[in-house]
Amino acid sequence: MQNALKLTTYFGERSRVGGRLLADELLDMHARREVRASILFRGVQGFGAKHRKRSDRLLTLSEDLPLVSVAIDTAERIEELAEEIGTIGYEGLISLERAHLLGAGAATADLACDGRLREAAKLTVFLGRHERANDTPAFVAACQILHDHGVAGATVLLGVDGTMHGQRKRARFFARNADVPLMVIAVGDARRIEDALGRLRELLAEPLFTLELVRVCKRDGALLEHPGDHPAPGARDRLKQKLTVIVSEAARHDNRSVYLELVKRLRRAKAAGATSMRGIWGFHGAHPPHGDRLLALRRHVPVVTETIDSPERIAELFPIIDELTHDSGLVTSEFVPASSALHEALSL
Amino acid sequence: MSAEAWIGVALLGGIGSIARFLLDGAVSSRGSWSFPFGTLAVNASGALVLGLVTGFALSGEALVLAGTATIGSYTTFSTWMLETHRLGEDGQSRGAALNVIVSLIVGFGAAVLGKWLGGVL
Repeated sequence: MQNALKLTTYFGERSRVGGRLLADELLDMHARREVRASILFRGVQGFGAKHRKRSDRLLTLSEDLPLVSVAIDTAERIEELAEEIGTIGYEGLISLERAHLLGAGAATADLACDGRLREAAKLTVFLGRHERANDTPAFVAACQILHDHGVAGATVLLGVDGTMHGQRKRARFFARNADVPLMVIAVGDARRIEDALGRLRELLAEPLFTLELVRVCKRDGALLEHPGDHPAPGARDRLKQKLTVIVSEAARHDNRSVYLELVKRLRRAKAAGATSMRGIWGFHGAHPPHGDRLLALRRHVPVVTETIDSPERIAELFPIIDELTHDSGLVTSEFVPASSALHEALSL
Repeated sequence: MSAEAWIGVALLGGIGSIARFLLDGAVSSRGSWSFPFGTLAVNASGALVLGLVTGFALSGEALVLAGTATIGSYTTFSTWMLETHRLGEDGQSRGAALNVIVSLIVGFGAAVLGKWLGGVL
């Protein structure tokens, strides 16, 4: 187990720095530095600092979808990476989160020793797109294990570029793209996640996980904790709060699509930003893991929406989320040192 | 058709599609609604202009350049259909039906109005 940092950047497909696409610049940087794991995701809708709406629902607005890049490595290496990102003139939102990085070696994350077992944990599993385990796609097998261990939910997000164990794996138009990374994000009771970890280690050839502690605010419509009651690990005014809302693409509230309505209302309420990413597979609660069905008009995959703002603003925005997740969905809260100005994020 | 006309089709076709992109983008990014007003604005204005052009009684290469090249690349049937499917996918069956009906009525009305205006002018 290593104390790692997770660096997340939020920008757009057309964002450029010094004449190059920012996505290329960042992923080249990850590859050159042989970052342990990094993934670039293309979102399906969102808005950011400039409040410009991006959505794959309207054809003309799909030419500049939101991008999210995640890089995970030891604290020292990620701090160096963050400093380099600062030198290229990156102006978007950046966040740094503490995470435990787990490979094949260590036995357990031993969350119990922190005396934090009451809290929920977020496990991220990094896999190749066509990686197989037990004669099924590895992400399907991983979701099944997580489901069997009673973990509350898991979502599979497909990357378009990234590094795995330090090697660049980029998706190309005419290619099998077998090694392009994907991420399985599971949230649930910390002890159940630890149990599932053992089985996942046996399953995967080159396991790579990160483990973080999160607070579950809502689950299947039940309010478990208001994000305003979430104790901050430091001075509240120096931290930002990240809310993650996971709902099925098919989820409806008052006959409207929950994830579309969520971003629409957050934008109207002048939230700092929000990004939605569509999963390809997943489960929540007692439902067995599933993806899209052939010949079904509505899609049944999970959609992950993240919004980051000051704790005060998050408390003000939460009623919107609370109302829309009246019957379903999973809402988690994390405190993150985040900033749109990089040097501030680093000093936190 | 002359070589100049072919080049004209290519150039005006490019201009038409850029005009669509700009208008659709400007209308769509304005509000937070899910109804594809951008595509409706493009198709309705295109129908009006094509009505006008035929009202002017253009013919031959001039009609091809104005109609097929410019308005043909400006308006979009495929986006209309795709966005109708997206509305259905999002469970907004009423929105999907409305997108078809409103586009038909507004588009037909715009074409009739354009043709009448073209005749009067």
